[in-house]
Amino acid sequence: MAGKIIADTLEHSTAGSLDTQYVVNGSAKAWVNFNGTGTIAIRDSLSVSGLVDNNTGNYTVNYSSSMDNDDYSSTVSANASSGLFGTLQSEASMTTTATNISCYNGSISPADHAVVCLHTLGDLA
Amino acid sequence: MSEIKVDTLTGKTTAKDITVTVGATATQSLEQGLAKAWVNFTGITTTASRDSLNVSSLTDLGTGQTTVTYTNVMNDANYTGSLYQNGNPGSAINNFSNDYAGGFGDRTASSYGIYAYSGTAVDAYHNDSTIFGDLA
Repeated sequence: MAGKIIADTLEHSTAGSLDTQYVVNGSAKAWVNFNGTGTIAIRDSLSVSGLVDNNTGNYTVNYSSSMDNDDYSSTVSANASSGLFGTLQSEASMTTTATNISCYNGSISPADHAVVCLHTLGDLA
Repeated sequence: MSEIKVDTLTGKTTAKDITVTVGATATQSLEQGLAKAWVNFTGITTTASRDSLNVSSLTDLGTGQTTVTYTNVMNDANYTGSLYQNGNPGSAINNFSNDYAGGFGDRTASSYGIYAYSGTAVDAYHNDSTIFGDLA
């Protein structure tokens, strides 16, 4: 049987202490690295159940564990590459179960990117 | 209020497997939710870290191009990162380029590239990145 500790503070002998709310609230609740070109595919992830390729440069990331509300914080980044010099902007449409993201090229036209990353922090349901 | 004084947290069954309650009932791996590296650096003149976690060095490869090298390497190149650059050499709040288009470069288990761009490659004042994934 696994042990369980209920605590409000963690204290290191020399490095200081940390309120455990920062462990709970400061941890990413979901992240994903995926290939957004061709047949889109997850390379690695946390709490992501799947991806939907909606259109050129537009993807939906579905969460395994739902967020508590749609007020969470998400950031999106992508690799720079020839003709797509890191030109990813995010128009996030956020629900408790998914986040929609859009990728663009330097001409602000929708474009698929080979490496797309999403981080989500906030409260799980 | 309860308090635990400890230098290391290690999973009982598997070293890195510690479960944390992060919602009303939802639980999550402590290790998976923690950032494995972050850095805030300037690319102006001499590229230099202001503060960081798990970053051993920064290499200036040319205008707007920097390699960030990990202290403890990642398990593979499949980790995820988020990045912000202001695409401008200035430090004030209005020193932001609307042509900003920075991004990640080559990514390996031991390092990742950062490109700062604003119509052309540029040394940016603000370069913030955060990495999540699996350490080796």
